[in-house]
Amino acid sequence: MGLTCLRIDAPAGCTYAWGSRNGEWSQVAETRRESILGLDNIRLDLPVAGLGSRSLAAFLDYIGLGIVAAAWIVGSLVLAQMVAIGWTVVLVVAGLFVIDWGYFALQEILGGGRTLGKRLLKLRVVTAEGGTPAVGSLLIRNLVRSLDLLCGPLLMAIDPLSRRLGDRLAGTLVVHDRERERSPVLGRVPPGWGARELAVVEAFLARARTLGDPAVAGEMAERILTRIRGDAPELLAGLDPAADPVAILRQALQAEEG
Amino acid sequence: MDYSRFVRLRRPVWEAFEAELAATRGSLRKASYGTLEDMALRYRQVLHDHALATARFPGTAAARRLQSLALEGTRRLTGEGRQRPAGPRVFFSRTFPLAFQRQLGLLGITVALFLLAAVWGLTVAALRPAVGLALLGPDAVRGLEEGRLWTSSLVTTVPPAVSSSRIATNNISVALTAWTGGVLAGLVPLYVVLLNGLMLGAIVGVTMHYSLAAELLEFISAHGLLELTLIMVSAAAGMALGKAMVAAGDRPRAQALREASRDSLTVLLGCVPWFVVLAVVEVFVSPSTEVPASVKLVLGLALEGAFLALALRPVRLEVTTSTESTP
Repeated sequence: MGLTCLRIDAPAGCTYAWGSRNGEWSQVAETRRESILGLDNIRLDLPVAGLGSRSLAAFLDYIGLGIVAAAWIVGSLVLAQMVAIGWTVVLVVAGLFVIDWGYFALQEILGGGRTLGKRLLKLRVVTAEGGTPAVGSLLIRNLVRSLDLLCGPLLMAIDPLSRRLGDRLAGTLVVHDRERERSPVLGRVPPGWGARELAVVEAFLARARTLGDPAVAGEMAERILTRIRGDAPELLAGLDPAADPVAILRQALQAEEG
Repeated sequence: MDYSRFVRLRRPVWEAFEAELAATRGSLRKASYGTLEDMALRYRQVLHDHALATARFPGTAAARRLQSLALEGTRRLTGEGRQRPAGPRVFFSRTFPLAFQRQLGLLGITVALFLLAAVWGLTVAALRPAVGLALLGPDAVRGLEEGRLWTSSLVTTVPPAVSSSRIATNNISVALTAWTGGVLAGLVPLYVVLLNGLMLGAIVGVTMHYSLAAELLEFISAHGLLELTLIMVSAAAGMALGKAMVAAGDRPRAQALREASRDSLTVLLGCVPWFVVLAVVEVFVSPSTEVPASVKLVLGLALEGAFLALALRPVRLEVTTSTESTP
């Protein structure tokens, strides 16, 4: 089954594209990015997490909070068999207080800016400069969470960096935290090819193995090989033309896995 | 430089940097100085390669790899998280007093507002006792009519430890709410200060009406002074946020808010252990008939004195060299 793609282009450099392959939907294009100036004034594009993914992460976290609180109460009640009821109430009161105010902050402090929900959605808290936030900043952004339940979504919706009140106070952002890309890099390039051609060929080689129909992959590789034969036939010298076109393409351009 | 030459020449640097990031994944603090120096150098090289790749080869695998490598390097090597948090000793002997002393002006305003509200509450309760009684609730009023304070229920209806934990968590919640509410232009801490002042004045006025003021003052003498001080300190911390929000001065509002929130959070965190101590005193000492009033008063003054001595202790400013943006 081929790739069907629903594409939504939003303003201000936001591009969301989702593709369906064999009935499974996955994100195939860039998310919203905001530029900051890093060291030596070099531009860095932070993949800012929007209202949707952050709200979903928060929803998952509140489910986790409920489970932890319930587990604490049950644990305290079990303990009540062994200690006086007064101390059990103390445990429940103090424990719930700490869980209520510290659940998010503690997770972010110990997890490098990630809570359970953020881990599941691959999000992370960073400073406005893309660095690691200090403990104080993580505390600040979580202590005002109760206020953010009221005004946070609106603030995130109108802010290009999707910052809620806590983020503004702490000087933090929430970004997508994806694994480093490991796609083939071309070791040889036909003269005159620009970045666009290179990106297309690399993207094709990265996804050729996962294409459902090998015939489609072979047909697409053949088209690229035709172009290479016209631009730089010397790259194909010594290669067996009867072999798999995708393999020929890899050898001709000396594609190495990143 | 063409793409393949760029990748061939620079790839060893990217791979070395990736390996260093992987090797120090657990904690950067355990890395040796030499490793850190190497990482800083390679981070700079990766950043420059990223800039070149973004401009010359946008969308290519190398550009995307450098993009994610530059972001990861920035996150791991820069930012506030590299600084080790100060331990409790440094916090209470240095960080907290410095932050507290920077907010003395706002604390002065808070205390003045509290006293005004207390005098107003006292006057209203003295002139119109019904208003004060309405604030206390029917159970407390019934107790007053029987010649006893409602405070005795603190230890008679529930175990002292339960009361103590409830009081501590309640007071800390009030302090946190006063602080967080500061971002609403300082209105919430203002409300907390005025309400507490008004309530105290009114309650003293009502107990005077029932000739129980001496008992009330004895009850609050051990914990009340510091408890009110801490509430006012928390409210002043909240007002610092409100001030930054409303009148940021010559700095961007975001920066003013960030600075104010750091200082005020430090002050707030410095108050938390005292709330716990006070909750224990309020339950185990304040209602006790075995502890003489003079001892309670001395304890209250000692607690207040200890807090103020810690908060106002002279701290010498250190000249530090900032390396914030250099990894």
